[in-house]
Amino acid sequence: MGQFVTEIRPGGAIAVDDTIQVKGYETKAGSRILEGFQPLFGAEAVERLEKAGYEIAGKTAVGEFGLDLLGEFSHSGATLGASGGLRGAAAELAAAGTVKGALCADLNGAPRRAAALSGVGFVKPTYGTVSRYGLIPCACSGEQIGVMAKSAGDMRGLLEAVAGHDPKDGTSLPTESYDYADGKAVSEMRVGVVKELTDAASDGARAKVQAQADALRGLGVAVGEVSLPLADAARTAWNILLCAETCNNLSRYDGVKFGYRSPDYRNIDELYVNSRTEGFNFLTKAVILYGSDVLSKGRYFACYDKALKVRRLVWEQSKALFENYDALLCPACGKTEYQPYDIKEAFGAVFAESFYTAIPNLTGFPSVVCGGVQLIGDALQDGRLLNLAEALEGGAAK
Amino acid sequence: MMTAEGLSALEALNELRLTPDEKMETLSIFRRMESYEAALQEIPTDNVEVMVHVMPLANVLRDDVQAQPFTRESLLEGAPEHTEDSWQVPRLVK
Repeated sequence: MGQFVTEIRPGGAIAVDDTIQVKGYETKAGSRILEGFQPLFGAEAVERLEKAGYEIAGKTAVGEFGLDLLGEFSHSGATLGASGGLRGAAAELAAAGTVKGALCADLNGAPRRAAALSGVGFVKPTYGTVSRYGLIPCACSGEQIGVMAKSAGDMRGLLEAVAGHDPKDGTSLPTESYDYADGKAVSEMRVGVVKELTDAASDGARAKVQAQADALRGLGVAVGEVSLPLADAARTAWNILLCAETCNNLSRYDGVKFGYRSPDYRNIDELYVNSRTEGFNFLTKAVILYGSDVLSKGRYFACYDKALKVRRLVWEQSKALFENYDALLCPACGKTEYQPYDIKEAFGAVFAESFYTAIPNLTGFPSVVCGGVQLIGDALQDGRLLNLAEALEGGAAK
Repeated sequence: MMTAEGLSALEALNELRLTPDEKMETLSIFRRMESYEAALQEIPTDNVEVMVHVMPLANVLRDDVQAQPFTRESLLEGAPEHTEDSWQVPRLVK
């Protein structure tokens, strides 16, 4: 069924992806560089789940630092579906009902893609509402721990258990707890289908969007078409920021303090270079090198600073749409199946696919995947998106 | 445009070493990204402020109180090699 970092104890408990620390479990973020790493503390989100009475079932594989499409280049191995196509390990567990849900980190859309392919739900909450304390950091300004589950009701329950202010996380919003019940009736909502993202997707992915748009109309939702001309710029801007932040965050892995150390070195320089060269895969190396380049003296203003300005423009363009629409509907991924491929193609493959997922990471807006598609909402409107998801799955529509 | 020499400098800066094939592929990645960067340059941003935080956040600092959340022993446990009280690395001074 897939590759899991630990044995998963079935019985309705919660799986945690391998970029999120769980005390007592090796946590290697899908990477050889963290081989053998035992965290000294558990992630706040995990501890909150345990306090709420949930049991941790085990840890699931992710791509190295969550950077790839679907975990295909995890040091623990790829997860494949029955068709031989790539799948996310946590999503497959949730789809099979082996676990009630999973905590997954979203830094470039991998869990949203995985949820869409396995037919489960995923909520990437508004940035700052779920503590990132205990998440192995990569792209701090846009990555977020989210919740995966089969139903919108389960997503809502799990999200309420983990969300809320955490003084240990400097990016945590001050609200102590969140109630994800939203009073607005689904039949009074307006949803905009994002033209640029939908038109670019494959026939199969586009058909899913059309089917869900029709279903929403059937529920009385006013569905229209909207344009987000900066969608492509959002992808470039997010990937520039992601690479720059990842480059900085991964500089701590040097073979000295924790994780993997190459056995092959004669001096300290060789220890650093050989440990990092053997410890990271090619995708991570390319991300680090590109990130280092966009932060360099001659390129900083043209790339990194520009990306931060484009982030504001994308935020404003999206915000303008949210004045008239409760949610934006678009594909969660461009295709309905992904086959294993060579790691040398990974940077381009992830960049291409992040077209569909970059906006919530870049802007911090929440996103909910359900029925194979993605709903993006205004900041702190996670509950409204979950209401729409619940209505779509035929649950307690409001 | 990124050159082979420039890429070698980045490898050194980041304590990484690429194989010849990986160097070729990385240069190709940089070339492709340069075309996307060019498209980004066409977006006017003269009077646009950078957006570092997507939500209204200020620097959050804890109280300036001395604390020792972890013991030396627990921090050393995760190291690939350590002595009784230090991380162990190859000799730095001959």
